[in-house]
Amino acid sequence: MSGQDLLLPLLTKLNALAGGVFLISAFGLVGIRQMLTCLRIYVFQSLLLAISAVILGYHHASIHLFVVAALTILTKVIIIPWVLRQAVGYESYAKREISQAINIPTSLLLAVAITIFAYYIAGPLLDAIGAGVFEKVNLPIGMASLLIGAYTVTVRGEAVPQLLGILAMENGAFFAGISIAPNLPLIAELAAAFYVLIIVLVVGLLAMKIHKTIAKTAVGEMMALREE
Amino acid sequence: MTDKIVFNVIQVIVVMAFAPLIKGIGTRLKENVQSKRGPSILQPYRDIWKLFHKDEVVSEHSSWIFRFTPYVVFVTPIFVALLIPVLTGYPLFFAFMGDMLGGGFILALGGFFATLAAIDTGNPYGPMGASRTRMVGFLAEPVFMIVFFTVSFVAGSTIPYIVQKHWVTPLANLFQPSHILMMLAFLMLIIAESGRIPVDNPTGHFELAMIDESKGLEYSGTGAALMKWGGAMKFFVLCCIFLNVLVAPWGLAQGVQYWEVLLAVPLILIKISIFVLVLVAIESSLAKLRLFRITEFLGAAFATSVAAMITDLFLM
Amino acid sequence: MELIYILLISIVAAALSLIPVGRRFAPGVTILGSLAVFILSLRTALATTTGGEVIAVRDYLSCDSFSALILLLVAFVGLTAAIFSWGYIATTVEATDDKKIRRYYNRFNLFLLSMLAVPIFAQIALVWIAVELTTLLSVFLVSFESTPEALEAAWKYAVLTCMGASLALVGILLLCCGLSLSSEAAFTWAGLVEASPKMSPALLYTAFLFILIGFGTKAGLVPMHTWLPDAHSQAPSPICAILSGIETTAVLYCIMRLLPMFHGSAASYARKWFVIFGLISAGVAAFLLIQAKDYKRLFAFSTVEHMGIILVAAGLGGYAAQFGAMLQIVSHTVTKTLCFFAAGATLMATGTRNIAAIRGLIRISPVAAISLMVGGLGIAGAPPFAVFLSEFSILKAGIMNGQYLVIGLLALFIGVAFFGIMQPINRMVFGSAEIIMMDERALLFGRSIMPGRNILPLTCLIALIVTIVPVILFGIYLPEQLSQLLHHAAASLGRM
Repeated sequence: MSGQDLLLPLLTKLNALAGGVFLISAFGLVGIRQMLTCLRIYVFQSLLLAISAVILGYHHASIHLFVVAALTILTKVIIIPWVLRQAVGYESYAKREISQAINIPTSLLLAVAITIFAYYIAGPLLDAIGAGVFEKVNLPIGMASLLIGAYTVTVRGEAVPQLLGILAMENGAFFAGISIAPNLPLIAELAAAFYVLIIVLVVGLLAMKIHKTIAKTAVGEMMALREE
Repeated sequence: MTDKIVFNVIQVIVVMAFAPLIKGIGTRLKENVQSKRGPSILQPYRDIWKLFHKDEVVSEHSSWIFRFTPYVVFVTPIFVALLIPVLTGYPLFFAFMGDMLGGGFILALGGFFATLAAIDTGNPYGPMGASRTRMVGFLAEPVFMIVFFTVSFVAGSTIPYIVQKHWVTPLANLFQPSHILMMLAFLMLIIAESGRIPVDNPTGHFELAMIDESKGLEYSGTGAALMKWGGAMKFFVLCCIFLNVLVAPWGLAQGVQYWEVLLAVPLILIKISIFVLVLVAIESSLAKLRLFRITEFLGAAFATSVAAMITDLFLM
Repeated sequence: MELIYILLISIVAAALSLIPVGRRFAPGVTILGSLAVFILSLRTALATTTGGEVIAVRDYLSCDSFSALILLLVAFVGLTAAIFSWGYIATTVEATDDKKIRRYYNRFNLFLLSMLAVPIFAQIALVWIAVELTTLLSVFLVSFESTPEALEAAWKYAVLTCMGASLALVGILLLCCGLSLSSEAAFTWAGLVEASPKMSPALLYTAFLFILIGFGTKAGLVPMHTWLPDAHSQAPSPICAILSGIETTAVLYCIMRLLPMFHGSAASYARKWFVIFGLISAGVAAFLLIQAKDYKRLFAFSTVEHMGIILVAAGLGGYAAQFGAMLQIVSHTVTKTLCFFAAGATLMATGTRNIAAIRGLIRISPVAAISLMVGGLGIAGAPPFAVFLSEFSILKAGIMNGQYLVIGLLALFIGVAFFGIMQPINRMVFGSAEIIMMDERALLFGRSIMPGRNILPLTCLIALIVTIVPVILFGIYLPEQLSQLLHHAAASLGRM
């Protein structure tokens, strides 16, 4: 146990590091124009999620979280980028710029405001659950990433970045979840991992269909069904 | 007591002497990465020497600002070098004259005069470059402020020597998320302030696209030498602040012996060279941003630094 | 055990429908499967009328009376939609495209499976997964016709509901955290109710809001409803019936399950939110109804309105209002199913979705016209149909409780919706017989549609009749067992 006590500050700081970079990657999703880079940022974010899961698993001595980390790496780092590359045509990736409803500097400022809001919500929650150091990092950053992902979906005009926004929301929710609910039954977490895979398959196939039908994936321009 | 004054003087001499060397190393490395041979690393010294021996041509339409500016640009980094930790980890004689904010303002003073001088001559390219420099500068100022505020807030002081202790003593502090975010923001700031890719191309001589180089466009002879030297010193000083305060606050002399201080000289040079290597890697892999995309770049720096402050404020 | 069989049958049916053995095999298997599921659900529901629970796997698969009610409704809509699909898909898909038909039935069965899983699962994380699966498995059904509008609708559907699901996930994780901190109960609905007095209020409130907004996106509450009119109008009619009739209700079931967790003063907080969201949904939907140009969109807006009404009823508090909410769930489901089947029949008869383009439907296709009329009157809340009875009981309960403002607003919205629905339907059904313009969608059907010459497929007729019966019946008489079931379901919402 004394070994673990010595290790604890280091683990805490490593987890905090993972959290900080996780937050940056959430900002990156909002602020980067190129689609391929967005995909790489998402993969990087999932990797950070896995790292945090490993740290927390070691801390709680729970094999659940190690399984979660392994599943995350398997689905989000390996399979999903591959699926997305196959499902959406090369032309979509060759395009370097994504159209956005709100320009990037404003989006970044809004992302900062959202982060402040997330910290504000998380404050009373942290008091309520008697948070330790790990929850104090994971919960607010997870919520911030969730809300920033929602914002990304709203402003981006292309299919794949919207999908990446949703996946980033999932990442944020899980990042918060691994710290506050580490003992969720394993079956739920297994199923959740496969659920992410299904999302990507479904949405990827849908994007492919859209691309085939109207020869582009600019879903932001699809406004035929509106109340006029 | 006198020791400290001597150390301060040694510090200034180091900055003056080795700034062109760092510039030469940077240029050479960049050429090497592109599979070219590149100029010798001592070339900037030869350039400055040559320029000091040439005649100066000054436009008759320019005012005292034009003649005065090279001296300002040369002297301001020297002032800042007095304040920051270059060789030693403990404060020297002049160190309490100003803190980091003061240092930032002094550097900005140099930039301000350079901009004024560029407009002074009446050459059309000068004001173009000057306005662009001001745009980058005006966007970078809030980031500077926020980064300095965050650093001071986290470390509890604005004197760089005290701030630097904060990262070193419990080693785990180095890994704090706010620290990482601050490093990232400051890196983006250095890129913007010293005019490197992706903000500006330091080797380009196309006047319509110059941002930072345009300030030295009209100078010749002594003026040009001082501007070049001053620019190199500014870069050296910024690197010192970044490396010695934020990133790698080790290798600084802790004792008061002469040999310790002299030992710190090659260490600081090695540290800065490694950092130059990183910068060269960044420069060689990115393209220059379009002018109005620079706002996004600096907006990202701003967001990162505010995020650093938030994570620190709420995590403690 | 029945619960496990229910799930297994759907999986088997889904697998079997992929077998390429003639055109009749896939729909036949689907209908048989959904019939079996319906009978099993009926048995489950009957078992819970005494107030007990049906448990297959403790803490994972079980049904109490509320979930049995939803299960029964899912099975009913699934059965009728399967019957209707046979005729509808056979008519609207090209004769040579067997593969597409098989794919439709495969996805239909999988979708039905996920919908059945929502009330059956008791473990809350699994319920969340089931709700998510209902979205994912129905996306391709919504975009079945592969027109640009259908694809746009499917995209909005997928994106918005997945966003909502992530928000709800955070809420659920918060609940799990609170539960594990305060007691040893299992992470089921019942366990949460048991442990909730010991959980901190801040946690409960935050989780409640996250789940309300997250699942509310999927249930079609305003302002997160923007995907609903598109998705529920672009899908093929039997799928619209399932989506509008029972899927949004099933998600609303998940939200309403949160109510018994709050006790005392916290309960009024939760109820207040229900009433606010419910009134806003009902109001906005009622006014948006008026300018719908497509009759399937009209019915979709009506779904949003009814979700609002149910939520308001749950939020009013008191046994009578809760009973009214349950009754409204039942009546809305059967009536909305009828409406969308009628819409499907109308579409098959006229080839257009445009309200302004159809006049005198009664002469073009009497069956479609009558069912449209009955459906429209039913969903608008006219007596003697089922919805009238349930809305009346909700209004009465509210007045008894003394909440005059809420009831006044609700009655206003119902009135506005009544006119908004009846006016276009009246115009469509009566009037001189002509179709003013057929739009391109008619060409999708792969055969020429001549007004007055279309015989509705037999199965569609059967489905329509099977659905009309409860709509009329429940307006007059509520069978004893159903009433018992509703009574226990209402009680499970918590005493106030």
